[in-house]
Amino acid sequence: MNYKITRFVSLFFLFTTTFIFAQKSDYSALIVSDSLKENADAVVRLNQIDIVIASQRSMNIKTKRVVTVFNENGLDAIDANENYDKSSPVKNILATVYDAFGKEIKKVKRADFKDVSAVSGSTLFSNNRYIYLDYTPIQYPFTVVFESETETSNTAFIPQWMPLRDYAVSIEKSILNVSFPSNLGFKYKEFNFSNSIKKTIYSPTQLSYTATKILAQKEEVASPSISNLFPRVMMGLELFHLEGVDGNAKTWVEFGKWYNEKILQGTTDLPEETKLKIKALVGTETDPIKKAQIIYKYVQGKSRYVSIQVGIGGWKPMLAGDVDRLGYGDCKALSNYTKALLNVVDVPAYDVVLYGGSRKRNIESEFVSMQGNHMILAIPVDNKYVFLECTSQVDPFGYQGTFTDDRDVLVIKPEGGEIVRTKIYEDVSNTQVSKGAYSIDENGDFSGKIGIVSEGTQYNQKFNNEKLSPTEMEKFYKDYWSTINNLKIKKITFKNDSDKISFTENAEISAVNYGNVAANKMMFALNAYNPLKESVKRIRNRKNPLEIQRGSIDIDEIEIALPVNFLIEFLPQDVEIKGKFGEYKTEIIKKDNNNIVYKRKFLLKKGLYTNKEYDDFRLFMEQISRNDNAKIILTKS
Amino acid sequence: MKKLTYLLLILFCLNANAQEFKLGKVSIAELEQKKHPKDTAAVAAILFKKGEVKFQYIQGEGFKVITEVAMRIKIYKKEGYDWANYAIRFLPGTGSIKENVLYSDAVTYNLVDGKIEKTKLKSEGEFEEKMDRYWSRKKITMPNVKEGSVVEFSYRITSNRIGTLREFYFQNDIPVDYVEYKTYVPEYFIYNSKMKGFITPQINIEKSPKSFVITSKERTGSGFNTTTTNFSTDKIEYIETKTTYITKDMPSMKEEAFVNNIDNYTTSLVQELSMTKYPNEPLKPYSTDWDAVVKTIYDNDDFGAELNKTGYFENDLKAVVAGLTTQDEIVSAVLNYVKSTVKWNEYYGYSCNDGVKKAYKDKSGNVAEINLMLTAMLRSAGLKANPVLISTRANGISIFPNHSAFNYVIAAVESNEGLILLDATSKFSTPNVLPFRDLNWMGRLIRKDGTSEEVDLMPKKASNNSVTMVYSVDASGKITGKLRYLRTDHNAMRFRSEIENVKEEDYLEKLENENEKIEIADYKRANEKDVKMPIVETCSFTGANLCEIIGEKMYINPLLFFTKEQNPFKQEVREFPIDYGFPFKDSYTINISIPSGYMIETLPKSTALNMEGNIGAFKFISQTTDNIIQLSISHQINTPIVSADYYSMLKDYYQGMIAKETEKIVLKRI
Repeated sequence: MNYKITRFVSLFFLFTTTFIFAQKSDYSALIVSDSLKENADAVVRLNQIDIVIASQRSMNIKTKRVVTVFNENGLDAIDANENYDKSSPVKNILATVYDAFGKEIKKVKRADFKDVSAVSGSTLFSNNRYIYLDYTPIQYPFTVVFESETETSNTAFIPQWMPLRDYAVSIEKSILNVSFPSNLGFKYKEFNFSNSIKKTIYSPTQLSYTATKILAQKEEVASPSISNLFPRVMMGLELFHLEGVDGNAKTWVEFGKWYNEKILQGTTDLPEETKLKIKALVGTETDPIKKAQIIYKYVQGKSRYVSIQVGIGGWKPMLAGDVDRLGYGDCKALSNYTKALLNVVDVPAYDVVLYGGSRKRNIESEFVSMQGNHMILAIPVDNKYVFLECTSQVDPFGYQGTFTDDRDVLVIKPEGGEIVRTKIYEDVSNTQVSKGAYSIDENGDFSGKIGIVSEGTQYNQKFNNEKLSPTEMEKFYKDYWSTINNLKIKKITFKNDSDKISFTENAEISAVNYGNVAANKMMFALNAYNPLKESVKRIRNRKNPLEIQRGSIDIDEIEIALPVNFLIEFLPQDVEIKGKFGEYKTEIIKKDNNNIVYKRKFLLKKGLYTNKEYDDFRLFMEQISRNDNAKIILTKS
Repeated sequence: MKKLTYLLLILFCLNANAQEFKLGKVSIAELEQKKHPKDTAAVAAILFKKGEVKFQYIQGEGFKVITEVAMRIKIYKKEGYDWANYAIRFLPGTGSIKENVLYSDAVTYNLVDGKIEKTKLKSEGEFEEKMDRYWSRKKITMPNVKEGSVVEFSYRITSNRIGTLREFYFQNDIPVDYVEYKTYVPEYFIYNSKMKGFITPQINIEKSPKSFVITSKERTGSGFNTTTTNFSTDKIEYIETKTTYITKDMPSMKEEAFVNNIDNYTTSLVQELSMTKYPNEPLKPYSTDWDAVVKTIYDNDDFGAELNKTGYFENDLKAVVAGLTTQDEIVSAVLNYVKSTVKWNEYYGYSCNDGVKKAYKDKSGNVAEINLMLTAMLRSAGLKANPVLISTRANGISIFPNHSAFNYVIAAVESNEGLILLDATSKFSTPNVLPFRDLNWMGRLIRKDGTSEEVDLMPKKASNNSVTMVYSVDASGKITGKLRYLRTDHNAMRFRSEIENVKEEDYLEKLENENEKIEIADYKRANEKDVKMPIVETCSFTGANLCEIIGEKMYINPLLFFTKEQNPFKQEVREFPIDYGFPFKDSYTINISIPSGYMIETLPKSTALNMEGNIGAFKFISQTTDNIIQLSISHQINTPIVSADYYSMLKDYYQGMIAKETEKIVLKRI
């Protein structure tokens, strides 16, 4: 018998000790300095961008970016992707992943990158493609070295240099080298510069910057857009090339004219059949706005929006004829298509280039270049413009909501480009008017009806509510009335008046124990329907300015019926607060022993304030919140 | 022929029976299920888990243990996505121990337009990582996982580690609907089996004869003679014991307040070899008692021999203890010296890795290197010092005497006042104030002669939080005051590690936001670095949201932001002991000035709550002089671990304390 039984006893020792496995290398995460790690989810160790403009029709961009990622939130900082199409190919792309000790763990070659259509829904026809690294981290921290080289003839768009692109990411070193022929009219403009950036070379043919040690920034609520905070350099050429066409522009007028003539020309042709159909649809209508309304409605019903990754998808819109046939397009395609339809019935309309987003961002009017990430349409009416968002199937005609309002945009007219401000929704026009009533019974149970009318930008926050599923709707209103415990929604109806751009909610609600009953007393907050819920965080040492992007006004008038067998012991006082951030006023009118009317008006002003003023804002809001919580006391008679 | 038919029939029946729990047979009903029927909050559930352990004899290698497990997991919510990842630790092996892990049948199922869509795991979803010198880990990340997905996989672990069978879990932190576990053990191996947790599976034992064949080789002849080799085969017969464990509808293990390590209470099967019974050989015992376990550890080169090395530090140590006479002084000096000289590399273990000498030279070492060095230095300095083997809280509490029951070692000095326990791996640890990870019931002290005894690791002395607050309320309800917060022992250690590497500015901002947005000024810390001293914070504060004015009255929670509002004990019944880790006392001395024009209408009355068996007590004393309210409040727990038998008493105690603390002072306008 020769059984061989493994000896295991001594092996137990092995399991209880461990050792450090280390390999020194440049890409080790262990050598990142503590100050760079502070508040950072990722550290950009190096980001070197070399842009070589060989001629008006040739630009080559090489990127080498080394990013150490410390946790899941830092994954975006890797940014290992490129857009391309036939005329702008990706020549090389490679990513190498290193573990915490700087040991290589994976090499991702071009074929292993995900390569997808830039248009969502891959069945759609498009030349624009998007190639990106799809890497699932096994452990943190890790480091990715991303290298790429792209080439394009579109010199009209030189990517802006922005060493710091996000909060919670720090920069160890970021380098930009640009070289260009001296005769193309190269220009640049610096924004928000700090001393961590050095301009190392500036000559007639070269521009270089080096940024070192930019520490991670903490995101602070109600800050302006990062493009107004973080350092960046815009660049452009006076003699450029786009989509197969040379261009030459020193002013917006020249730029607009060129864009209109060379890029947009010939994209608005429509089949005769469609033209006839549109003419029939408009009929005898002569008012240009009414004609436009008919056409806008037609486009909303017919087409659908497909998103294309920001900044790509070419600068030339899809042909209007193709949109007509296929029924879809991106923002440029749909705007241009609507314009073509309007032209059929002799309503002038212009393409508008801008930055879309609820955080407002301007087209830099001082820097003539290709900018923007979105396109809408402008119809001139009495020296003003009506703007149309053509990607939405639901927006009311001429409504800009919070995506395109109140910002500088470029309107492209045949006679040239023009920078204009889009519609500003004034503080007092962004209204929410609540009218209603509630009664409290002797047990403190609440039962009430309310109608809420929202307009201006407040319309934007509500008008999709009618499409919510029952559970989403319940969640929305339980949040909205979060100060009413045990809330039951008995009934809720909506009215969306898209002509007046006004949305009405009518609700019937109830809740047990809203009134807090103890011994022979009852207590509850009078402002049941609309107390300020937003809590403004205390920040000890705020760095960023405070920006209130949009103002608003809430007006409430609520009739309150008290239980019959109780007397009012105490009624909160009327309050009026006026300050730079807004105005607040409450009025409580006792009609008789059991009926009172609660009136409230709260105006919040739009504005840009310094970092120092943030605390005043917080205290202003706290004061309102406290007053909204003022309680009535009743005694049993 | 007849026999065959029966057999087929039986097989067929078994198949029919088991069909539901077979990989690949995911039903539409399972995919459509939106939440777990018995636990609607569950983020995922194990629909079934089937495990089997078999022994296989391989000629020339001996017995191997084959563990095969198949699982089907339902993912309900995003928070359950982690259940679509699975990892198995194993010893890839150099030398005699070898294990390997093989995943198969890994498929994700989704319901797309009413049809079942299968996505197989590709090689890119499978990773192997080295965890340390010995252990590796094989992980899978299932593809295409969404809310509602069902994932399935199986794995097979081949191992020649027969000393301990892998712990098999019947329960988890998600519900487990059905578990079947079968072990097939040859008569040569006798295992001690223990069930952990509070639920016992259904167990069924069957014995049956089995056999295997071995081939032996024998050579005859020598020198110039022709050599002949004779082969002989032997058929070895033995009895195999098949044990089947079945559980159904296991509830998920829920984290509760003050639980040591929930793993200690999770239903699982632990098996350890107690003896071997080979044919023609005497019984050989393996599992032993604690003394023997400790002895083998001590005799190992990585432990005892390392402990006895002294040459590398002797000269340096002389300078450290020069002029010191009392034992306390020496202990402190040596402990601080080791803490400041050798940094812990975050690795556990009671065995040295690179050895004490190298650790001393490199200024970095694992737990054993640091604390054995500490012990050796204390001995060198003339003290009666010994190492103490412990199991950290994360390592759990072992059921059998065995080597893996320990994973850590600390030092102990015998003194007239009893043992002084020391751990030099933590910057903030002091004599008898061990890092929280160490506080896990009992340890085992080893003397120079290799004998050992049990040592209670749980602290006896209360750790204090003492708050003194003096504040005044103005007529608008704004509160302005000064605060002093003192923390001792474990509370101080915990606080020091919390604030380590946190900028003061960030710490204060968080404090302000978590405490009703008070504004803090004049903030100071005393003894932050002097770890033997209590750490003290002082500051002044103002708060506009600390008091409510309704009508003519003002309502104040006297403890302000220190008010406890939530009972940590929510469950009706509790099966696990309540483990605080250490005894403590929280006390508050509060002086309140009320605004002029106001009088006190209601003041919470003095009261006291005492728990049976001196487990703890709450005192609330209130009094007034002129317009000043004085309060003295304390809450103390005297035992680090409270048995679950006292749960309802403890819960009531907290309820009473919270009710008292939330009673408001009512002031009335005159």
